[in-house]
Amino acid sequence: MAEHGTVSIIINGVEHDVPEGERLITAAERVGEYIPRFCHHDKLAPVGKCRMCLVEVEGPRGSALTTSCTVPVTDGMVVHTETDVVKKAQEGILEFLLLNHPLDCSVCDKGGECPLQDQALAFGAGESRFIEEKRTFTKPIPVSELVLLDRERCVVCDRCVRVADDIAGDPLLEFIDRGSYVQINTFPNEPFSSYFSGNTVQVCPVGALTSVDYRFKARPWDLESVRSVSLVDSVQSSVDVHTSRGKILRVYGAENDAVNEGWLSDKDRFIFSAFRSPDRITTPLVRDGDGFKETSWSEAVELVAMRLGGHVGTEVGAIGGANGTNEEAFALAKFMRTVVGSPHIDAQLGDGLDPHLASSITARGTISDLDAASTILVWGPDLKETLPVLYLRVRKAVRNGAALVVVSPYSTGLDSIATHSLRYRAGSGPEILRKLAHGDAGYEAVTETLANGPVVALVGRSSITENPMLAEAVAAFARSLPHAKLLPLLTRANVFGALDMGLAPTLLPGRVSTGDAAGVSLLEDSWGPLPESAGKDTMAMLEALIDRDLVAVILAGADPIRDCPDPAVAESALDAAEFVVAFDAFMTDSTRKAHVVLPAALWGEVDGTVTNLEGRVQRLRRSVQPRGMSISVSAALDDIARAMGAELGAADWQLINKEIAAVAPAYAGMTADYLTFEAGEEGAVVPIPGATQPLGHIPVEVNVPVVTGRFTLHLAPALYDAGVLVRNSHMLEGFADPGVVRMHPRDAASLAVADGDLIDAEGVGLPVKIDPEVPERSVVITRNLDTTRGIAASADIRVETVRGEP
Amino acid sequence: MTAVISNWSHDNQERAKRIIASYPEKRSALMPLLYIASLEHAYVSDDAMREVAELTGITPVQVQSVASFYTMFKRGGVGDYLVSVCTSISCYLGGADDVLAAVESSIGDVAGEAAAERPITVEHVECIGACGGAPAVQVNYELIEGVTPEKAVALIKWLTATRPEVILTDEMQQLFGGRRSFEWGSTDSEGAVRPIPAFGPYGSVGGGSVGGGSAGR
Repeated sequence: MAEHGTVSIIINGVEHDVPEGERLITAAERVGEYIPRFCHHDKLAPVGKCRMCLVEVEGPRGSALTTSCTVPVTDGMVVHTETDVVKKAQEGILEFLLLNHPLDCSVCDKGGECPLQDQALAFGAGESRFIEEKRTFTKPIPVSELVLLDRERCVVCDRCVRVADDIAGDPLLEFIDRGSYVQINTFPNEPFSSYFSGNTVQVCPVGALTSVDYRFKARPWDLESVRSVSLVDSVQSSVDVHTSRGKILRVYGAENDAVNEGWLSDKDRFIFSAFRSPDRITTPLVRDGDGFKETSWSEAVELVAMRLGGHVGTEVGAIGGANGTNEEAFALAKFMRTVVGSPHIDAQLGDGLDPHLASSITARGTISDLDAASTILVWGPDLKETLPVLYLRVRKAVRNGAALVVVSPYSTGLDSIATHSLRYRAGSGPEILRKLAHGDAGYEAVTETLANGPVVALVGRSSITENPMLAEAVAAFARSLPHAKLLPLLTRANVFGALDMGLAPTLLPGRVSTGDAAGVSLLEDSWGPLPESAGKDTMAMLEALIDRDLVAVILAGADPIRDCPDPAVAESALDAAEFVVAFDAFMTDSTRKAHVVLPAALWGEVDGTVTNLEGRVQRLRRSVQPRGMSISVSAALDDIARAMGAELGAADWQLINKEIAAVAPAYAGMTADYLTFEAGEEGAVVPIPGATQPLGHIPVEVNVPVVTGRFTLHLAPALYDAGVLVRNSHMLEGFADPGVVRMHPRDAASLAVADGDLIDAEGVGLPVKIDPEVPERSVVITRNLDTTRGIAASADIRVETVRGEP
Repeated sequence: MTAVISNWSHDNQERAKRIIASYPEKRSALMPLLYIASLEHAYVSDDAMREVAELTGITPVQVQSVASFYTMFKRGGVGDYLVSVCTSISCYLGGADDVLAAVESSIGDVAGEAAAERPITVEHVECIGACGGAPAVQVNYELIEGVTPEKAVALIKWLTATRPEVILTDEMQQLFGGRRSFEWGSTDSEGAVRPIPAFGPYGSVGGGSVGGGSAGR
């Protein structure tokens, strides 16, 4: 008998110890015996559909052919994978699979990376006896706006159906008809509109499902593959970026079981089309009357240096930095605190959480903790809309038996699989928290579920209209649950990295509080004296610009007019500022108010490291050259510093990376070399062994006021909104919903409005959508759509019926 | 949930509710509900699949997957008489291909006003369990054994000319049948009044005489 947890099996006469209960096909592969397969996929439930993995397993009545993808290993199992019987079976299956499969490899996108092609060569008979006419279908047909289907190529492996149903929870693809007429299809006029549709293209073992964008673009042997990270949201999914001749042609999910397990959202997968948008800013621009004129980098740098140098340091602020690399964020933090001499820096735009809570919470969990959780509490933004790959991981945990409690002011993507789904009127979160924390009639079942540890709590702000301190109170409650681990939820791509690099008024690099005297003096040893006054956050900076306490501001990939809670304040602030310099890749509402706009490289175009929501650092690798004259924010800041007579040491990302590892305590030892040679492609969660994190934030119970008022507002986030990258991505543009005001039927009745009637919501006219999922006396509006972005994120809202013209 | 089955007859709506209540999981009621949908419209339309999806809490394409797997759930319009010619091995050896060809061409012969008024639908089917009496044919799922091409043509002419309200297997066997597999004895069949298979537990004996519905007969 093998050691505990393993069993001993004999494959082709050789004895191996393999994990107990593992599927035979996986166990065999683990010990170096590859068994061919089409339907088997590590991350999908076994179905035994394609029959390609037949092997001989000895049993009491002699050996029999068995599908190795469905059979768990048992102790003493004797398996043959290469006998004549197996060979004949596999040849037969391949002959069947190829009966109706067209020989169009030369024009098929999958040709060259096709499991059917490869395995037909390796395991097939080489010739078919089938001389009849093959089955044909109309081709290709769209199953969604992003995915095309060539049905005649399908080998009916069920992978896409399982991805759609089991993984994504969108069972919109199915087998239709039967026998030799069987096909994959959608219901008429109900396309496979899933946030995860691109995964079916990646798992398809033949060329049946192809991406609309990639179709006929390249051959796989012409592609270069670069392992990197998707900087679309703070999950930071691992990706393989495939390029050819200096262009990104497609993005595939990379197997990183700690993060995304190979899955991607369609936003991760297709957003790169924005990189080649004709609207990219490719040269430095300076204000010229009402517009801009192009200029050279040297002139732009001189101008910025002169204007920034002309002010007292504390009159300058910096907003943003959450969409770039850690190195860019660190360079900005260092530039502000040392070259400019200002403590006013914030990577969040008044839409986030307390920086201490987000960056340095104690008992912080990891994404893979979800796999072992008995109970998961989600109290934050709708995961499906904001962090879709994390949504998949929660789904997986629930599929494997975890209980799920979702608390939200509106229905979320997880409600349908939640054990308990608690709804509260936007603004009344503190009430329901009190009931949960102190017990209340009607909440016994939820309390009982939450008492079953280990608990993983995903805590954030359900919408920008919610008091950020509620998350602090929820975190304090969650921490009291048995064996609780917490994951703070912020969504901007590298916001956790930016906070860790000190892009917050109350944080220094490496999770050090600005109030930590020892930490401050340690940093001053290498940086020199730091500004003494307290730093302002984004909203305070914007107010200060209006009051002329601040006169200049740096926008690092930030659009406060779009993203901060009060667009009008942001607009007046930028109008009032004497000098605004913006690093950005696209013109936005805010960059249009800048005096100098510097072209910033996007994440496919820069090298560096990034940190995700669990504190995991991964390598972001450059896959293509920056567009036009774009460069990284850090390289631009290095030039500007030099023009101001200072040395930033940020000319090269590797220099910055070494400095981070030297001066940021939680990042001690976290160098690019450590990632490459020690951590591997999974990355590593900071602090790594040997490093310590100075700040350990223990969330406390805080008294958060309940919002009253006739109507309270929930500004619901949406995956496809009018965000700058979505807007500029020709593949994803147009997926955003038109804006509506959702309200409870009784509220609609009291206002005497019906579906489609126009209503005035805080001065913005929007049609009504009656929706019983909205709590009474509350309205739900999707955030950041073209039609809704003018609405200020105040917790209560004035909603009025639009009167007809007199 | 707002039910979208309002265009089903009251009886069938009630029947659907009872069926769903009899399963621990709503989606288990899928097959009988598809049968009810067939009773309602004589075939399973896209709308009907949406209705069943709503009732069972699954997606329409999942319903379509099941509905399209089982060939007795018709997905297109069927005439008042569904003539099913078996082409499985025994019937094939007994000349079923000729029977099928004869039926198909005689349908062509009666095309026109008469056919449009009471159309006959022809299909070939796999084994219908009458191998001993091959070749076998069904009209609205009522069996005739030992059919020849000539008899089959006569059958179609008879259907077109007399337009029987009730299809009775004994009557057809006498008029158009040949050698039977064995003496079935007297059938207690009430006959079939619609091209719907009999399915006792869910309200239909003899092709929908209980079902009624909106077929307009």
